[in-house]
Amino acid sequence: MLLRQVEYARAESVADAVRLLGENSNARPLAGGQTLVNVMKARAASPDVLVDLNGLDELKGIRTTPAGGLELGSMVTYTEMVESEDVGDFRPRLAEVTSTIADVQVRNRGTLGGNLCSNDPTNHLPPLMVAMGAEMTIAGSSGERTVPAEDFFLGVYLTAVEPDELLTKVTLPPPGGGDGFAAVTIGREGTCIVNAAAVVHDGEARLAIGCVSAVPVVVRASSEPEAAAAAVTTADFDPPTDVHASAGYRRRLAEVLARRAVQQAIGVG
Amino acid sequence: MDPVTGKTIAVNVNGDQYEREVEARQLLVHFLRDDLELTGTHIGCDTGNCGACTVIYDGTAIKSCMLLAIQADGARIDTVEGLASDGELHPLQRAFSETHALQCGYCTPGMLMSAKHLLDNNPEPTQHEVRRALQGNICRCTGYWNIVEAVLAASKGEA
Amino acid sequence: MTETVTPTEALVVEETETRPGFIGQSVPRKEDRRLVQGEGIFIDDMKRHGMGFVHFVRSPYAHARIVSVDVSKALELDGVYGTLTGDEVAIQTDPYFELTVPPGNEIKDYCLAVGKAHYMGEPVAAVVAATRDLARDAAELVEVEYEPLPVLVDPERAQDADAPVIHEDPGSNVVWSGLFSWGEIESAMAEADHVVRIQRLHFDRFSSTPLECSGGLVEFDRPTGQWHIYSNNQFPGFAAIMMAPALRTGIDKLRFISHDIGGAFGNKICTHPQLTACCLLARKLKRPVQWTEWRTEQHMTNTHGNERVFLDVEVPVKADGTMLGFRCRAIDDCGAYPRYEPLGCIIWSQVTPGMYRWRHIEIDFTQICTNKSPVGPNRGYSRMQHLWFTERVIDIVAHELDLDPVEVRKRNYIRSDEMPYETPNGCVYDSGDYSKMLDMALELIGYGVLEERRAEAAERGKLLGLGIGSTLDSGTNNFGQSQLLNPELQFSGNNEVATIKLDLLGEVVITLGTVPQGQGHETVASQVAAEILGCTPDDIHVRVGHDTYWNSHSGFSGTYASQFAVTGLGAVKGAAEKLAEEMRRLAAAVLGCPADDIELAGGMARMRDNREAALPFMALGAIINVNNAGLPEDLDVTLNARYVYRPPFQVPDKERKFGNLTLTYASQIHACLVEVDPETGAYEIVNYAAVDDCGKRIHPQIVEGQVHGATAQAIGAATHETFAYDEDGNLLTPNFYDYHVPHALDMPPLHAGYLESPSPFTAYGAKGMGEGGGAGIHAVCAALQDAMRAAGNQIVHDSCNPPWRVWEMLQDPESTRRLVSVEERR
Repeated sequence: MLLRQVEYARAESVADAVRLLGENSNARPLAGGQTLVNVMKARAASPDVLVDLNGLDELKGIRTTPAGGLELGSMVTYTEMVESEDVGDFRPRLAEVTSTIADVQVRNRGTLGGNLCSNDPTNHLPPLMVAMGAEMTIAGSSGERTVPAEDFFLGVYLTAVEPDELLTKVTLPPPGGGDGFAAVTIGREGTCIVNAAAVVHDGEARLAIGCVSAVPVVVRASSEPEAAAAAVTTADFDPPTDVHASAGYRRRLAEVLARRAVQQAIGVG
Repeated sequence: MDPVTGKTIAVNVNGDQYEREVEARQLLVHFLRDDLELTGTHIGCDTGNCGACTVIYDGTAIKSCMLLAIQADGARIDTVEGLASDGELHPLQRAFSETHALQCGYCTPGMLMSAKHLLDNNPEPTQHEVRRALQGNICRCTGYWNIVEAVLAASKGEA
Repeated sequence: MTETVTPTEALVVEETETRPGFIGQSVPRKEDRRLVQGEGIFIDDMKRHGMGFVHFVRSPYAHARIVSVDVSKALELDGVYGTLTGDEVAIQTDPYFELTVPPGNEIKDYCLAVGKAHYMGEPVAAVVAATRDLARDAAELVEVEYEPLPVLVDPERAQDADAPVIHEDPGSNVVWSGLFSWGEIESAMAEADHVVRIQRLHFDRFSSTPLECSGGLVEFDRPTGQWHIYSNNQFPGFAAIMMAPALRTGIDKLRFISHDIGGAFGNKICTHPQLTACCLLARKLKRPVQWTEWRTEQHMTNTHGNERVFLDVEVPVKADGTMLGFRCRAIDDCGAYPRYEPLGCIIWSQVTPGMYRWRHIEIDFTQICTNKSPVGPNRGYSRMQHLWFTERVIDIVAHELDLDPVEVRKRNYIRSDEMPYETPNGCVYDSGDYSKMLDMALELIGYGVLEERRAEAAERGKLLGLGIGSTLDSGTNNFGQSQLLNPELQFSGNNEVATIKLDLLGEVVITLGTVPQGQGHETVASQVAAEILGCTPDDIHVRVGHDTYWNSHSGFSGTYASQFAVTGLGAVKGAAEKLAEEMRRLAAAVLGCPADDIELAGGMARMRDNREAALPFMALGAIINVNNAGLPEDLDVTLNARYVYRPPFQVPDKERKFGNLTLTYASQIHACLVEVDPETGAYEIVNYAAVDDCGKRIHPQIVEGQVHGATAQAIGAATHETFAYDEDGNLLTPNFYDYHVPHALDMPPLHAGYLESPSPFTAYGAKGMGEGGGAGIHAVCAALQDAMRAAGNQIVHDSCNPPWRVWEMLQDPESTRRLVSVEERR
């Protein structure tokens, strides 16, 4: 509950943030704080420097792209995503799923960027981004680069964002067919035990299963729900066993939820 | 700005202006409780789950255990102590009492702030909307049923 | 979302006098005004000049020898005031008194680990510093060397020859064991048409996790040796009995003060170790010492509800469904230290037969230690575990013999015309109409359309199930039951105290011996006193909280065990009546008439036949306090009355383990409808009914609040809440992230109903209530079992059934089926 000593700096620009992150090897960006502050309370990790991103307007905002997709600043909050007209018009499933994350207070502070960069295996948004084929834009001292979602998540709490870089925005392609998401949670709208995101396009389904591996597990199948379940059955992943679920139970949930996510995406769920 | 271990911050809490020096590591909830002696905001957990520390921060309900005091420099914060005015209880406070929506009273300040935030933004919520608005506030005494009734009653001007 | 249905026909067992006034009214709560404004004073709100903040250094091992504790680096940190280690504690204090018999009573229990850590999180050292943060920082600098030892977490292994021994001094993990036997189980077996056998039923470890954690602020007054212990401990009587001998001091030297408490539910009874450490530190460091427990600490160390396994259950049953009795072995896991235990080994016997009429009962009961958190008397304490067992038995027997679960209950329930009913072990159920309550619950849940709903759910691919949970809330303990465990113990009966005075300016002031944590004692006490004194509750000031300096307490004072309505209000009634009698005598002396001619009404003491001749309370107060010349010499009036309520108990028969152990028996019957998703094991409670009978309800809204709260806690315990350990003794659910308690979206629609069967043994016919007896756990288990009839006929045998467990049962029905067998005798 009580943090270790830490230094704090409020970044004035993305460049300033990148500089601050680069100057101290144990500096961490502070976004919504809904994960990082808890980690610091438990003293499970204690950065030496916190670089507060909350003043960076350039990381806020949700816009449509000329290609008909959606661009979200990494510092948009869950609430902003839920209430955004653009998200509601273009990718309503994203708003719907985001509205089930934790609770109002967390949604008022927690950010898209924080959710993705913390890459807790039980998070909702990494599998959804992977299924949607999102592109992540990362800014560092040598400029910007984009990484597709499928390559963005590298391990538990680990992403392609280096310690001296920042995720600045997430770009979603235009919706092709339908989006679906299914989860079994600890209590209503609680932490996910297993989740599955599905995006259907032209008879093909692109699935990402969460909570069963260090990173979302990508599965491709036809958009026939049973085929999706079958594809998950043969997919290569080794789910963990913990107090909420055994490996076997997670495997079985993955199959069922994949099917339900595809059903939802094609409009029958 | 270069990194600092502490800073003097200026905050407006319930309409009163304060200036205090804080360590960077200090949580907003501890600043409110220990430095400003506004002990109405409570602490019930250490993982940001229980919501007993809920305050309204620049107009939005947040859990003050997951914000650093140093981040709140320049902010407007509303706590339970600011709900009543001139000795008159806020309709939510009256409704909570009339509906027996509090027993031990420990979750109550957080509940009231979450409820206020809801009614400020959605004056006529449905029962489901009330429950969703209170999803981040744990109560162990009441089972929530009376709390939901109280918020609905307050929204209908029945308190 | 809630409905209150009170049956319209008369349901009073006995005629009670019509009372004008406040009893039975839901008057506004006095506590609310300060609590809704955030002006309650909870322990962490308190500050003292110069106080130091304590942080406990805790063992990361479930079982380990402590090789060395080095606090030197912590002491070097600027702002650290001092430390305390187990070595100092072993010198300055004696081990806590153990309630159990030899050899268990050889257990050495101190406020810090001495020599060995016995559970993960056990405090090993304490650091005090100028701020919370510094204390936490300094705690990290304390270096402790451990030698890990083998860990015991499985209660069924605790008596194995090769099991790790938790406490070396007794040399065994058995805290207490004994055989309870009433009636003639062998002849019942011989008479049976069927014998149903259940291999194993397991009641999971969980707790009510009050939102406010424990805490204390201790000051030591050096010249007098007086400790002032501000805390949220809910049973200071017990804490004092534990701490005074340990600190080698007198009872009165430990002053306990509490103010507002953020829920307790039995979890704030065994905080004497932490408070003892604070006492030692306050004395050593010559400054007040402040302790606030963190959530993770509460989950890991303070406290869990009892975990109990029932093995080799045998139930003789007649062809018509009459159940004759049961026999089983029970193993109760009390964690690393007994403390309040082994009282749990007898307290269940307050409700030996549950709500049922079976007479032949045998339980071979053993309590053991493991390397887990010590237990505390969590809400429903020991009766809940046993009542869950009896409900599982009824439900499983009905299931196996294809009997209607409603009919089977009604056939076997104790009948209202048998009340007061003496159970096989001599407890007396005061009143109740269980069949009627069951009918009410079924009506509320929509029993008539059950099969329609089941079919409709099936169309959506869901399994619908209905479960009934019947339970008792026995209240007002006879502590003589402790002698059935240990004949050497000198505890019996019960008591509670209240003091009332009429002050100089006419104000009526009550001080209670109880320690409320949200139950509205200030309000309810004022209702009772107002009726007796002829004024309104607003005229009565009830002091907030508890303070042993008020001398308004006794050995059993506190708030626990569902007894306030009887003991606390019994004390208030007695004190108010004493005061009323004195007021009448004083008024009579002043007005020159017999005392019997005086009545108290409208805030006045007046002549019944001449209301003009009246004295307001203020006049009476002034006369006694400052204006007493001329009063008759023999007028013995102080207007300051202290009353000790004592329930009518005898010491039970130790040979037969027989006698009345509780004064009142409130009852609850719940019905629950669940919808199970057979593909995932996830389920939803889609409808819920709770019917309560606690005799005369003094404040109906408060009663309803307690029913709601107990229901919500039971739902949490039934669906998710479990303190699960891995084989190394690590607690896997140490905080609210992993230990899921119900949130607002988890709650089902609730329909509540009430019956009032007055108790013949209490002044107002009220019964203590509040613990609730876990009815929701029994109902949810039964509902899940009913839902799975169509899917494999599984037997529910654990009290907590999260989705993963339901899924496992669905996958492998045989794993549950093989636990049950039916032997046909005829």
